[in-house]
Amino acid sequence: MSDLSSLSVSELRSGLDAKQFSSVEVTHSCLAKAHKLSDLNCFITETADAALSDAAAADQLIKAGKTAPLLGIPVGIKDVICTKGIRTTAGSKILGNFVPPYDATVVRKLKVAGAVILGKLNMDEFAMGSSNENSAYGPVKNPWDTSLVPGGSSGGSAAAVAARICPLTLGTDTGGSIRQPAAFCGITGLKPTYGRVSRYGVIAYASSLDQVGGFARNVKDCALLTEVLAGKDPNDATSADRSVPSFSGALGQSIKGLRVGIPKEYFVAGLSAEVSASFKRALSVLEELGAQLVDISLPHTEVAVSVYYIIAPAEASSNLARYDGIRFGHRAKGEYDLQSLYSKSRSEGFGKEVQRRILVGTYVLSSGYFDAYYVKAQQARALISKDFTDAFSTSCDVILSPTTPTPAFKIAEKISDPIQMYLNDIFTIPVNLAGLPGMSVPCGFSDGGLPIGMQITGRAWDEETIFRVASAYESATDWHTQKPSMG
Amino acid sequence: MVSEDEVKKIAKLARLDIERESIPVVTAHLNSILEYVDRLKEVNTSGVEAMSHVSESTNVLRSDEMRPAGASVLPQPLGDTEIPVQEMLPGEALLQNVPDSSGRFIKVPLIVE
Repeated sequence: MSDLSSLSVSELRSGLDAKQFSSVEVTHSCLAKAHKLSDLNCFITETADAALSDAAAADQLIKAGKTAPLLGIPVGIKDVICTKGIRTTAGSKILGNFVPPYDATVVRKLKVAGAVILGKLNMDEFAMGSSNENSAYGPVKNPWDTSLVPGGSSGGSAAAVAARICPLTLGTDTGGSIRQPAAFCGITGLKPTYGRVSRYGVIAYASSLDQVGGFARNVKDCALLTEVLAGKDPNDATSADRSVPSFSGALGQSIKGLRVGIPKEYFVAGLSAEVSASFKRALSVLEELGAQLVDISLPHTEVAVSVYYIIAPAEASSNLARYDGIRFGHRAKGEYDLQSLYSKSRSEGFGKEVQRRILVGTYVLSSGYFDAYYVKAQQARALISKDFTDAFSTSCDVILSPTTPTPAFKIAEKISDPIQMYLNDIFTIPVNLAGLPGMSVPCGFSDGGLPIGMQITGRAWDEETIFRVASAYESATDWHTQKPSMG
Repeated sequence: MVSEDEVKKIAKLARLDIERESIPVVTAHLNSILEYVDRLKEVNTSGVEAMSHVSESTNVLRSDEMRPAGASVLPQPLGDTEIPVQEMLPGEALLQNVPDSSGRFIKVPLIVE
């Protein structure tokens, strides 16, 4: 057991409970791996001392016969999620010194479940980006090839799990920020149904789209983590008052007769031949497992990216108005009048992409353009949502597609062309607009050895069927067991 | 399409200070985005109700009672004795993030003459 940081949660659980190793040893192993792979730049803030003392406390509890789902298991947290007493930057310079006075509900839930918090993970600033190049703390590198991006915005979370630094991490997903990096890094990532997981204490980007979810190296670990995170929170009025099913209970069940919808609109010009081939092979695996493939149509797919790049910036321009340099965050040095202090602090504190989205959002919400852009986008959002409702009510139980049109791309390849960058999320964005749950699971490799992901989208509140399909597929394949050479 | 002057106006509304030499490239990027999203015009949305959110609830109301801030509704963390169940955010905890303060006050520039 030399490399404890590589073990799955279930392996760690049985080893910890059988006293084969301690949580302190596991945590040491994760910290040593993080140190060894520090060039990946996964962490913005490491909390080694606190992690080791939490691990020691977990060991005492295990010794005393206490049980909890994640007792003694190290977990990394995307730096957009507030952690009491631990700096939380959202990947931005403007929050460079921000220390939250309270825990986000999901962090509190991890603590209740006994998890050991390893530290805060790197990300695109305010979760805006698909490559992690927008972080004020430097880009994260892809563990499979360090000249490539890990995806974004939860790039640090995905890279840390893929590089075997820790078994579980939290991310957030507004337009694909969990699923796209999961695909680029060859791991499993779930964006639950909007409202399934509390957003209390999660720094807002686009509130009608943001959702917290987890990364893991296999479907079972992901199910366990989602069970810990999910549920109604009185502190988040948009969290749903629905009982949380046992996602683990959905694993290992047959998918015989299950109707799998394949949207014809997803076979677009930009879809790479390698991704398409891997996806088609995955479909035949599912067919062999008894699933029934159904061609479906989601006719408004083509405008989803446009809708997203109106609605998300609009909400962001409003959410980010709070960063004014007065009560918290960066304040410009020097003597200014109030208005200049605001604009100086914001311009010094926000990066280019964040400023770009604030400008787009301000424009589409400004008088004279509101109806033409914002209301129009909200109407088109309703049509996109209805596409999914219609498909699920008439034709299929889940929808499958590639997670991304291509495997991971080079660092700096797309950073100067916003539209090329945005088109990376073409398959993941519609799912957020409709508020549905979506998962990415590994489904193959490119000729160059880069992971390829498959997206499984379910009905609202039906993460169980997603887990069922993912688990059946995982049992029939071994993509999820492959790891980068550095891992 | 937006002009450079319009970009300056939007930046002012958004309380952003864009350097003069960056205005042309910022304008070009904004226009490439606006040009891209313009394809929305071709979608027939007549009679479609605008969708502002996907949640099932409309208004979530509760009685206006003072209660502690923080995730206080959850049970005590395992083995964690430091965080009491009834968690109040003390003023000091909030003030520690203030960039410029004096005692319990936040310092700001002169607002009214």
